[in-house]
Amino acid sequence: MAAGGWTRREFLRGMVVTGAGLALGACAPKATPKPAKDKIVVGMSRPLSGPLAVVGDSAFRPVYETFVKEVNDAGGIHVEEYGKKLPIELLVYDDKSDVGTMTRLTEKLILEDKVDFLWPACGTSFIFAQAPLANKYGYVLITAEGGATTIKDMLPSLPYVFVTLSFSDWYQLPVLAQLLSKKGAKTAYIAYIADLHGIEYSGVAGIEFPKVGIEIIGLKSIPPDMKDLSPIIREAKAANPDVFCCFAYPDQVMPATALSMELDFNPKAWVGGPCVNFGFYQTTFGPAAEGVIGFTSFNPKQSDAARALAEKLYTGKPKEIQDYWGHPLYWAGLEVWKQAIEKAGSLDQAKIRDIIATERFQTVLGETWFEGGLLSKDCHTGEIGQWIKGEYEVIGPEKWATAEMVYPKPPWPKG
Amino acid sequence: MVTTIIEVVITGLLMGGLYALIAVGLSLQYGVARILNISHGEFIMLGGLTTWSLYTALGVNPLLSLAICGPLAFALGFVIHRTLFKRLLDTAASPGVFESNSMLAAFGLMFIIQNVALIAWGSEIRGYSYLTTPVHFLGTLFGANRLLTFGMALLIGLVFYLFLNLTRTGKAIRAAAQDPTTAGLMGVNINHMLALCFGLGAAMAGVGGVLISMCYPVHGVMGLEYTVIAIIVVVLGGLGSIPGSFMGGFILGLVGSIVTFLEPGLALVAYYVIFILLLLIRPTGLLGR
Repeated sequence: MAAGGWTRREFLRGMVVTGAGLALGACAPKATPKPAKDKIVVGMSRPLSGPLAVVGDSAFRPVYETFVKEVNDAGGIHVEEYGKKLPIELLVYDDKSDVGTMTRLTEKLILEDKVDFLWPACGTSFIFAQAPLANKYGYVLITAEGGATTIKDMLPSLPYVFVTLSFSDWYQLPVLAQLLSKKGAKTAYIAYIADLHGIEYSGVAGIEFPKVGIEIIGLKSIPPDMKDLSPIIREAKAANPDVFCCFAYPDQVMPATALSMELDFNPKAWVGGPCVNFGFYQTTFGPAAEGVIGFTSFNPKQSDAARALAEKLYTGKPKEIQDYWGHPLYWAGLEVWKQAIEKAGSLDQAKIRDIIATERFQTVLGETWFEGGLLSKDCHTGEIGQWIKGEYEVIGPEKWATAEMVYPKPPWPKG
Repeated sequence: MVTTIIEVVITGLLMGGLYALIAVGLSLQYGVARILNISHGEFIMLGGLTTWSLYTALGVNPLLSLAICGPLAFALGFVIHRTLFKRLLDTAASPGVFESNSMLAAFGLMFIIQNVALIAWGSEIRGYSYLTTPVHFLGTLFGANRLLTFGMALLIGLVFYLFLNLTRTGKAIRAAAQDPTTAGLMGVNINHMLALCFGLGAAMAGVGGVLISMCYPVHGVMGLEYTVIAIIVVVLGGLGSIPGSFMGGFILGLVGSIVTFLEPGLALVAYYVIFILLLLIRPTGLLGR
């Protein structure tokens, strides 16, 4: 034993004392008074890099950044329990667009960082993986980017999970099918990315299109890493469908659009998304975006609240960041979250969950409520959008339409 | 049927032209300068994003961007070799140590360049329409931009080949590739040649990025996929063999196109199958020594 080290006896004594102290500590009653709190910490695992970073950056991010700033500029969210307003502090980790990393980071946020709230990850397969985790630890999770066709049936067993975004059979593709059949579309070719998003959309289209008499004459899955989509566009062109659907992410919908121009493939309806709904689609393709169809949920023309939100999110910013599909729904989700905390007067997840599940809220969408974990489709203010004269208009359902669907789409501009 | 075959083959060759250019760049860096440059794709990304910025902000024709991005990437690569890799080379005990150290340094470089690009350009996908008009060619249709890209890739490859074979510097590069020590003893300024090769490799990547941006959208994290393809092509062609890399690019492009035509999901699988078979049957590559 080196000089200055412990003897065995000293070491053992130390161990006994430490052990006794730990045991005592464990037996001690939990501290009852609420610790002083001066902020609400919200944790997120987001794709700051990787293929989904594009979606993350253009969809939920502009919304939550604006929302947090707005709330904090007003002093924060009033929480009765603490008798004061608490500002929001964000804790964001980069999941590198990897589902596995996202689940680890989510657990870290909950178990290690002990965040007060969880805000959602980005992407269909991501919320599919994150929802059970949030539910397991009793964290309210109001999702943003991502469809829920697959997770829908599980929602009854996931009481803490609330889905805001509209998706394939809730209620987009039924509306799209109706619109197309009304204009006389008879055939469709569907290309879809080989992940949960593509599988959900192509699957639902496979059900909804034939219902209204649109025959699916081609169905091709696109691997996520495929770069040159020309074989698919060529095959679609050879099939000569009335409708071409590209259910994939921007890194493939963008080249699919360019290739359709290059190969002079101009079906009567060109549907793509998520991608077409983003402002950058229009800024990239300019006049060629005319007539291209995507998903949406609102248009600033629809109401004063919609116009106010558009001004708040987009004034003074480039058109690229616009997203008329996700932004209003995500914003409404955050409004619900804030109002539920205020109503609960506490940061208690269970109380807040009950309020979100049962009560109605006033948001940018008007009266807003959840049904069985899904944002009621009666709250949606649009499902299908189309670029018409440089504006992303709502073309369906008719009740919310701001413009009449252009069918067939104009030819691609030359040059 | 004949049309389909022509389509598949030409699609493959068009893609192959780009692969070839990128791979020749990596071949210079890996084959001659002995740096497995994991950040190769980042220079492609820089070329693509710079072209996008020049085109959308200033209306600069992407073809002109070739003349801007090439020299810029060359300068960047040259300086990086002169500062970072030169020092690693001087301090490495053996060529083996240098190869592993430089690869690790290249990894770091990849993260640095990637994150600088994410700060500068954000993570949005950047694309622009340039010559997206159909051209009738052998009874089928091709985008004018793709044909132009292919032509430029071939032209650059040819010019480089002539440079390598007809000029004194080219001779020195070939000598350095064959045996750096002996070449040094014969009066070739090895450090200068290695930096030159690294810079030229970066320039090829930058120019490749310009061409890619004409056909595909570009973004901050696109680099690594191209690096992987370039590595496969370089090994396929044979380490240090520039013509081998050039040929390898076309072979990979063709295989990719054929497999994609049959089943899109298997294209990447096919690349790796080629890679594994090659390592098993002919580890030196097609034209390797």
